[in-house]
Amino acid sequence: MSAAGSGEVRVFAQYDRDFTEQADVVVVGSGPCGSVVAKELACAGRDVVLLEEGPPFTPADFVLDGATSMARTMREGGLRATRGTVMPTMQAIALGGGSLVNSAICARAPDFVLDDWCERFSLEATTRRDLDPHYDAVEKFLGIAPTPDAVQGQRNLLFRDGCDALGWSSEPIARNVRGCRGSGECFTGCRARAKQSMDVSYVPAAIRAGARVLTSLQVQRVLSDGRRVTGVEGQVVAPFRGSPSHRFRVDARCVVLAAGCMATPVILQKSDDLANGSGQVGENLQFHPGVSIMGVFPDPVSPQFGATQGYQSLQFIRDGFKLETLWAPPGVLATRLPGFGHALKHTLAEIPRAAVWDAIASTHRSLGRVRARRGSMDPALTWHLHPEDVPILRHALAVIAEIFFAAGAEKIVPGVHGLPEVMHDRDEARVLGSGSYGGKALTFASTHAFCTTRMHGDPRQGVVDELGRSHDVENLYITDTGTYPRCTSVNPMFTGMALAHRTALHLAERL
Amino acid sequence: MVPWVLVGAVVGYGLVRVFVGHPTPPAGLGRLGRGEAAFVAAAADALYPPGGAVPPSGCEAGIPGYVDRYLDRVPPQTRGLMRALFFLMQHATLFFPAPGPTGFRRFSSLDHDQRVAVLSGWATSRFFPRRFAFTSLRAVLTMGYFADPEVLRRLGLAPYAFETPVCEADLLYPPIGSPPEAIAHRPEDVSRPSAPPPPLDLDGPLHPDYREPAGARP
Repeated sequence: MSAAGSGEVRVFAQYDRDFTEQADVVVVGSGPCGSVVAKELACAGRDVVLLEEGPPFTPADFVLDGATSMARTMREGGLRATRGTVMPTMQAIALGGGSLVNSAICARAPDFVLDDWCERFSLEATTRRDLDPHYDAVEKFLGIAPTPDAVQGQRNLLFRDGCDALGWSSEPIARNVRGCRGSGECFTGCRARAKQSMDVSYVPAAIRAGARVLTSLQVQRVLSDGRRVTGVEGQVVAPFRGSPSHRFRVDARCVVLAAGCMATPVILQKSDDLANGSGQVGENLQFHPGVSIMGVFPDPVSPQFGATQGYQSLQFIRDGFKLETLWAPPGVLATRLPGFGHALKHTLAEIPRAAVWDAIASTHRSLGRVRARRGSMDPALTWHLHPEDVPILRHALAVIAEIFFAAGAEKIVPGVHGLPEVMHDRDEARVLGSGSYGGKALTFASTHAFCTTRMHGDPRQGVVDELGRSHDVENLYITDTGTYPRCTSVNPMFTGMALAHRTALHLAERL
Repeated sequence: MVPWVLVGAVVGYGLVRVFVGHPTPPAGLGRLGRGEAAFVAAAADALYPPGGAVPPSGCEAGIPGYVDRYLDRVPPQTRGLMRALFFLMQHATLFFPAPGPTGFRRFSSLDHDQRVAVLSGWATSRFFPRRFAFTSLRAVLTMGYFADPEVLRRLGLAPYAFETPVCEADLLYPPIGSPPEAIAHRPEDVSRPSAPPPPLDLDGPLHPDYREPAGARP
């Protein structure tokens, strides 16, 4: 074990030559999982280098316009999409990763999901009982708590009212937030500094404990010497433009990849297909495709006020979907509204009386893969929505419509091609659940991606074990949503952090 | 000889139809070419015509300028795809003409009703890629429409002004592109609130970037 150094953060303007660093552990990716590992290991006295390709964002760097914000904080300008079934998806590029621009939802994986993981994937220590201490530790550090009514706003409370009227369960969403003012700006960066994204929580704590945080560094290869990894190498890249400049290398006794489900496989593939004895690196790509409906109420809703996503319902979680409220920059929400011309303008004018509610679906049969592209670190994503998963999305839309009308909506805008653009009552909306429309009629997107370096008890069928340790290569760990053997059915961040916490404690003991 | 002359004439005619005769684009556009600017302006006003429930038109809301800046921000591959989309939709009517005797022209040379008919064809097509192309175009232009503070003010959706507290992280990171010396805050600046901050005040002032300019029309 080396003594931990003096903590620091380095930014693009500070790199003026090629350089090499040494550390006990190099962590690739400062999103929720990588930040937890870096902080816990630094606090345990290990010498940690945390690498991040994106820059740190200050409040002065936040842009309120949705598309511009996405172009600055997301890879590929926020316009990434899968091939096969075309579906928009995103990955952040910023210190703190996706936590900078997500809505801070912290949901523990349901018991049945963890039981399923253990049963199907030969896991022995990933039950509720095993993970709860790690969830608890993260929850305490971030102050995760249910969203208070004071900042729910009408559009969240109407969802609660609708669920209550139907006798369906619902609850305030637990979030990693302290002092939320209900500005609804989670997706463009929290101006209120309330969201405990990694850049304002775990990363500063890691630095306090001695970690070196190097930003604007793109890792391109994991270096190995036979069956041991020895570090990583890559290049300095300019914020936003990604133009390369100097080279760097970090020599370390242990490498932790936490670059995200869509980036970690690319790094491994670009490292001479490292850690792929199972043939599973980049395979099994799953998403939580999300569908949404806008409902218009008779009275003003003032949807710009309230927690971005403040209420949820797990009533149908075993049927394959989770229900949530949603707000986003108006321009982003409006992209899915139907029509154009004066009709579209009329619909836009109704947004102040509207709410948007969504469902994220567990579509286990819909699979894809991640492949490295020549000359780029961006992934080539292929994914196919399985026909047998389409009924889950249809069911979800029908349920959202039910909640809207139960809450008093005067109409809904479902956004399904081939169906009426506007529906005025439950009878009219029944077609959402009973219709035979296919996946191409739906508008969906997903920011939750999983399984591309899945954990499995059998080394022939998985890339890592339950601790995130590579089955093939010594001292290589992976801790991001790629290690999930299946999707979580709920928002994945919290589970990723719990698993990362477990990996960090294991590493602190081992190194 | 004659066939080659005919082929040459057809090719020449096609090149003229595609590349020549675009109006001069507004000043200040850096990325959009003449033809692209003409298409984006025509599509913007077809999607968002003047008047109606939200008065500014697409061009009044500055969509062409927004798209120009947006092209500058996205990665080269994405930029190429967007340009291909503009090119495709601008010239598709040379092969699949708009209704009427003057429909065999590029999109930006059609009249308003013809543009609407063409976009409607894309929007409701049973052929998924055609529909997807329309959805992609509308998404980019819609985000441009909503980037206009006037549009957001008219809808009552403009962001509010509120104080951003200083936290520990603000002592660590300089603004993007700046060296650490540009960090403006010191430890004594860190906010230490004694109570949770109040919820957002919907009667409060708008964010400075979204306020009505002095002397603006009522």
